[in-house]
Amino acid sequence: MVTLDKLKSGFKGELEVLTEEPKLSIIRIKNKKLIKKVAWQIKEEFDILYALSVVDYTPVFELNYIFSNYRNADSLVLKVNIDEKDFSIDSITDTFNSANWEEREAYDLFGIKFNGHPDLRRILLPEDWPGHPLRKDFKVDDEIRNWTGLDLKF
Amino acid sequence: MEESNGFSYPGLYEIVFMKAEKFINTVLNWGRSNSLWPLTFGTSCCAIEMMTFGATKVDSDRLGVLFTGDSPRQSDLILVSGTITKKMARRLLNVYEQMPDPKYVIAVGACNVSGGLYHDSYNTIEGIDRIMPVDAFIPGCPPRPEEFLDAVRVLQKLIKENKSKAQKNGNIRQA
Repeated sequence: MVTLDKLKSGFKGELEVLTEEPKLSIIRIKNKKLIKKVAWQIKEEFDILYALSVVDYTPVFELNYIFSNYRNADSLVLKVNIDEKDFSIDSITDTFNSANWEEREAYDLFGIKFNGHPDLRRILLPEDWPGHPLRKDFKVDDEIRNWTGLDLKF
Repeated sequence: MEESNGFSYPGLYEIVFMKAEKFINTVLNWGRSNSLWPLTFGTSCCAIEMMTFGATKVDSDRLGVLFTGDSPRQSDLILVSGTITKKMARRLLNVYEQMPDPKYVIAVGACNVSGGLYHDSYNTIEGIDRIMPVDAFIPGCPPRPEEFLDAVRVLQKLIKENKSKAQKNGNIRQA
């Protein structure tokens, strides 16, 4: 892939190639501050970000950005680690528009802060929900189960 | 005519008034129970069975349950079918509060009876009787369309006997 060669030469030492195959390549960047630049490079070949998944390896959280393109359906997975001390990462919404809702989902379920996101609200759960339910340290206790967020009169 | 323990026999006027009130209420309840226009609130698989309930084979029209276009303003009965999440609960109550009194609720499916498959989830209302007064429950995952008929029969009986939740809570106009 053209983009992958460019990335390898442009981000020497910061970028690690885990898999390089014709249809699917997996890369990892070590410094999370490079995410905007890398995303901008990726945009040259890959049109869409079709998934953003987060894996909880406490204390490290791994973000998987999965890119694809319309021309030959190649895929590229970009892995970034963030740790619990600085629980935020730059948003790539200005490069890939579909990152808007994906990042809102990651914020909703894992509590990751995306710097520079235009509209960082919860997307699935109610606005006043306590906690972030897909984290490993989240416990479903009676208080959570009985929570409705409503004041009921009947 | 008054006795020492404070009990008094009703006079002629009171007897006539009570009889008339009872008669009018009976007529009203007869009318209410035989023209239950439903509002469909389907969020998942139970809604498919609800459609069958309104269709030809299990004909809901013969019980007076006419599916006459979904508007909360012209409905007496809300059929809540499908899992209600905590975010959806607010929308459900929003719709429910737009319905005119008297209004009745049937909870369809295991999810609305007790939480069902998702009973220990963080985001499910475990039985909608936690958030609104429910008159009849239909268990099953999903229930058969015939059980809807049964639930409507039960509800009609409750209305005729003045025992529905709407009557109990007092948000119903008596004669």
